[in-house]
Amino acid sequence: MTTETAIFRVDGVTKSYGGVKALDSVMLEAGVNEYMSLLGPSGSGKTTLLRVIAGFEVPDSGRVYFQGRDITGVPAHERGIGFVFQNFALFPHLTVRKNVAFGLMYGGGTVSAAETDKRTQAVIDMVGLTGMEDRGVDQISGGQRQRVALARTLVMQPKLVLLDEPLGALDANLRGRMRNELRAIRERMGVTFLHVTGSETEALAMGDSVVVLDRGRIIQAGKPDDVYSAPASPAVAHFLNRFNLFSGKLSHGVFTGPFGTVAAPQVTRAADDVYAIRYDRVRAQPLGSVADGPALQATYIASEYLGSSVMNFFETSDGKVVEVEHHLSLGAPETFEARQDYILTWTPDQAIVFGQESK
Amino acid sequence: MESRVLKPILAVYVAAFILFLYGPFFVLGILSFQQGPDGGPQFPIIEWSLYWYKQIFGLTPPSRIAPLPVGEALIRSLVLAFMTMVTSTVLGVMSAQAFRRKFRGSTVVFYLIVLGMMVPGVLTGLGTSLLANNVIGITRHWYTTAFATHVAYTYPFAFLVMLAILNRFDGSVEEAAWSLGVNPWTTFRKVTFPLIFPGVLSAMLFAFTLSLDEFPRSLFAAGGTEDQTLPLAIYGTFSVEIHPNIFAFGVLTTLFSFALLSVYGVLMGLSVRRARKLAMQEDIA
Repeated sequence: MTTETAIFRVDGVTKSYGGVKALDSVMLEAGVNEYMSLLGPSGSGKTTLLRVIAGFEVPDSGRVYFQGRDITGVPAHERGIGFVFQNFALFPHLTVRKNVAFGLMYGGGTVSAAETDKRTQAVIDMVGLTGMEDRGVDQISGGQRQRVALARTLVMQPKLVLLDEPLGALDANLRGRMRNELRAIRERMGVTFLHVTGSETEALAMGDSVVVLDRGRIIQAGKPDDVYSAPASPAVAHFLNRFNLFSGKLSHGVFTGPFGTVAAPQVTRAADDVYAIRYDRVRAQPLGSVADGPALQATYIASEYLGSSVMNFFETSDGKVVEVEHHLSLGAPETFEARQDYILTWTPDQAIVFGQESK
Repeated sequence: MESRVLKPILAVYVAAFILFLYGPFFVLGILSFQQGPDGGPQFPIIEWSLYWYKQIFGLTPPSRIAPLPVGEALIRSLVLAFMTMVTSTVLGVMSAQAFRRKFRGSTVVFYLIVLGMMVPGVLTGLGTSLLANNVIGITRHWYTTAFATHVAYTYPFAFLVMLAILNRFDGSVEEAAWSLGVNPWTTFRKVTFPLIFPGVLSAMLFAFTLSLDEFPRSLFAAGGTEDQTLPLAIYGTFSVEIHPNIFAFGVLTTLFSFALLSVYGVLMGLSVRRARKLAMQEDIA
């Protein structure tokens, strides 16, 4: 992607707090009309990155560009970048309508009163808050507050909206619904969304592209399915929360781990030797049966019913928990005896092997 | 077990506290209804009357007891308290706002401000009068030198109140306003100020009441008779002889204070409802 089609570009941004680097030479850009999600654990610097782009924080070094213009030193209120807060940060002393109209009324632009009313009403209708206009923001539900926060931002017609864990304060049911709505609203408005989240499912489900951030550095960026099927490092695999990770030793294309010695034809280069196998790729078979390939003896602990699948938890002799997911579409789940030992196995070429020696 | 011992002790303590707080005022209140002009400032009450109240407003025939020379002093004190209130609150809000971000030397500045309420008032008053007379060479007045000492004294109170309020203030609503293209000054007027208004009211109340009955600083810094504030004027009258008219005046000023407190209470009630909305919003986060 070139700079001409990029809506914003972050160029080598570094930001430290008391000697700790929250952002370490971050390079990032997003295209016009794109939904980008930014995934990272808490403390990875994802919120800091968002605040630097919004202009709430000044980077120690590096530049921020927006629509081809260097905005590193431009104050937040002159940037024209929308921001949706996790706690919504609605104006508690104003009604829904006044909250939404706030930017038009007091912002730098000269918008007539009639125009303000028209645009405010249009956005309120779009996010489905019709009839709530004159309520105080304490008289509406969490999901409705989320909509007010979004409407307040969108009414300014920004080209870029930054969302800081916007669904984090909602319950699971509402979160699912708002995910779809966020996508739909974004497509209708044709703006770029940069959505920060700590939830891997949210990041994978919502983004046209996913950026994974860890300890102030971007460790992978790409399409959700690419990131999901080919994590670039053990850390990414760990954040995706879909892989059993085993440490071991990679030597001459062979990985030695707690499950024995397995050939590793494909190796992704990484600092540590780690063997990753997806939860739903692992099978459990009775003790004593012969596994053709890797074999890991583990004790069955418990299972968790997830609706479309069942997650079984096993514990190895050294206390590591291995998760085995069974999709119910593949048939009824096997039943396991508690505190009994089983053999866990999988097809080796479905594993992802990280190591210092790569091919 | 513990509460069986502790509770009666606390009850006695509270009773004693209330007695000492309201006892003197109660006695003054009763004595203000003493018969006049011959009744003195002591029990027993010869006859209940409103004589002394009338005397304050000049509604009694002339007698050997001069009316309280408080009219102009009262106006002076009210104007001074108002000026002090406005100045100290504006300064307090502005400096507390500055303290939301750490800046170099902030600790030193903090102590320099707070020192204003720590230094004995007599010293501040005396020092100010020396400074005005001998160093700068200006005449002392209630609206110049005394005003300066009142601000130096009440400003730290306003500052500390606002500091506590802004400490709990969630700045994300301000950032939200900025991200909507609203400049910091308009954001302050339309978002921050309405939300910190309960604190501003408290700061105003502190500054006003502290200034209204300030004595040691005014004593030295206010200048001559034509510059006397109310506490000085009252003190001047009973250095000769005490009559119940002072008690009647005391009752009236107390009623005035209660009226002021009621206005404060009503305004506070209105804005606390608003603050509760903010608290609810923070609970979600």
